Amino acid sequence: MSAPVVETHSLAKTYGLAPVLREVDLRMLAGTGAFIIGGNGAGKSTLLRMLAGLEAPSGGRALIFGQDTRRLAARYRRRIGVMAHESFLYPMLTARENLEFYAELFSLADPRASAELWLGRVGLAEVADARVRTFSRGMEQRLSAARAMLADPALLLVDEPFASLDHDGAEIVASLLRGAIERGASVIATAHAVPEIDGVEFAVFEISRGLLLPLVHKEEVRRGRIRSLLGR
Amino acid sequence: MNNSAIRNWLGYATLALMVAALFMVFDYVPPEAEQGIAQLIFYFHVPLAWVAFASFGLVAIAGIFYLWLGDQLWDDLGYAAAETGMVFCTLMIVAGSIWAKPIWGTWWTWDSRLTTTFILWLMYGGYLMLRASADDTPQTARFGAVLGIVAVLDVPIVIASVRLWRTIHPAVLVTKQGGHGLEDPRMVATLLVCVAAFTLLWVWLLMLRFNQLLTRSRMGALAVRIAFASAAVAGGK
Amino acid sequence: MSGFAAVLRKDLRLELRSGESTLALLALSMLVLVVLVFALDAARVRSVDAAAGALWVAMVFAGMLGANRALLAERDNGAIRGLLLSPLDPATLYAAKLAAAFIFMAVAEVGAVILMVLFFNLDFDGSTVRLAPILILGAIGFSALATLLSAITGRTRGGDMLLPILAVPIFVPALIAGVKASAAALAGAPFSTMGDWLKIMIAFDVLFVTAGYLLFEYVIGQD
Repeated sequence: MSAPVVETHSLAKTYGLAPVLREVDLRMLAGTGAFIIGGNGAGKSTLLRMLAGLEAPSGGRALIFGQDTRRLAARYRRRIGVMAHESFLYPMLTARENLEFYAELFSLADPRASAELWLGRVGLAEVADARVRTFSRGMEQRLSAARAMLADPALLLVDEPFASLDHDGAEIVASLLRGAIERGASVIATAHAVPEIDGVEFAVFEISRGLLLPLVHKEEVRRGRIRSLLGR
Repeated sequence: MNNSAIRNWLGYATLALMVAALFMVFDYVPPEAEQGIAQLIFYFHVPLAWVAFASFGLVAIAGIFYLWLGDQLWDDLGYAAAETGMVFCTLMIVAGSIWAKPIWGTWWTWDSRLTTTFILWLMYGGYLMLRASADDTPQTARFGAVLGIVAVLDVPIVIASVRLWRTIHPAVLVTKQGGHGLEDPRMVATLLVCVAAFTLLWVWLLMLRFNQLLTRSRMGALAVRIAFASAAVAGGK
Repeated sequence: MSGFAAVLRKDLRLELRSGESTLALLALSMLVLVVLVFALDAARVRSVDAAAGALWVAMVFAGMLGANRALLAERDNGAIRGLLLSPLDPATLYAAKLAAAFIFMAVAEVGAVILMVLFFNLDFDGSTVRLAPILILGAIGFSALATLLSAITGRTRGGDMLLPILAVPIFVPALIAGVKASAAALAGAPFSTMGDWLKIMIAFDVLFVTAGYLLFEYVIGQD
């Protein structure tokens, strides 16, 4: 029984006097994936930000690789990849320059090669030397995915990975997520509704009234029953 | 004795010492021969100076503890010290100006001590402006702590550089050195009483304000807990 | 320290790419000198004090713009969060931003010195060269201070106006020392006579680079 990659204990967050999240208990082992669904403002992004260590919880704690997220040392940050609503990309740099920069930050052995590889994987090889400022939202999203996965993270935190993507883009990102899980990484992703990703099992949770509740057992997802359950 | 009782006693003691100080300054101590009655401001100026700088130091110390321990209590103390210190710093500048007019004939002079006090006043002002222009969050508290620490580290360098500046180009008239050349023991006694009175006044005001901010923080924390509890009641689990 | 080099290189690249706005900011700092020429009306008489003063006003102005820009680049697309999430040490990030601000200020200083000599009827000689170490010390100190403070002011309302309000009083000792030393250098005095001023500037630099390095992580977090 290996140690959980992600663990939270009664994690809670308020904005002012409004409790957004309360008593969130989560455990994720390596090589597993989870989708957290919920409507706008439900707290999905907040949860992800707390897991990433970008926001301090109002109560409880979150642990990644056994470390408190508020004081995550550099060597643990190296193993986490985050994809958010914002792309973290520099508009006046080219796609290649952006990826090479992040590759250097994550101390990759060959930043040029890594950037080249990932540009290919997200289908941006042709526009590698165009400035991100010229990109469509979907292209930026794909580049952001490349940026997040560049350093082969053990944990991927992705906030609405399929937003703004067309079918092809979504396919690419889905296969990247699948590949990550197959390589033994853990993935926590958020979405409005559960997307279909063939070939991988993941747990599904819902944030409702500030609580994180398991929605369905993973088998039922594969059998497609999730659609009717979500059809409110 | 609970906290409010301590504060009350502090208030009474301050009142008593202040009355004593005023009596000593205006009735007991002889004015200095050279400067006449205007020199009496010195007995207020010196204690105000000590308090203004001490309060500033407290802002920095509270800031260090806040960054280290994270307890909101330290930020409240720092903020209270900044507000209180600003009051005394302003009084000190006003007192300095009132002193300058009859002695030197101008409302202001860039002598080394007044200049340093003015810089201190600007730093206080900057701190208060920063806190006023940002929301009440732990991050703002951290900003205040860092600013307070940085400013206090600067103070010795400010004092050194201003003194050097004024040595090369002395101001209109050299300030009377406080503490030296107080021949009459009555002067020493008066000064000590004044220092004690103003220090107590500072501590008392500080405690009042600190208590206010602390209560506000605790009420805020309590409100959050109530919000969680009612959410739990309403939403299950 | 590959992170330091990566961030600095990226910032310089962005700075060069932004082209006109960099030039515009440099020009703005130079315009300050023009204003001072007319305000001080010192062009009639050779005045090293007026020249040194004007130079430092322009420098401080440029320094504030430079420090602001160093952190501004990270606001697009939340790039600062990308940096925080990376293994990059906040202190290393501070060092890189400090270096970027310093370079901007140094470039502005070169232009300002040239204009100062021209506007204030001075000569391009040894005294001008002797300004270099003084201006470098000043730029290091101001960049160190302003980089730390702009991380604070960038995240508050009215932030751009708050930076000078916070920075200038704290910078006063280095400003006094810098102006006095610069005036002395322009008047031809050797470094030995400026010893005290230089010591103050060095002390300021050491203090604030260290303070910034240690405290930056507390102001750059995203809470």
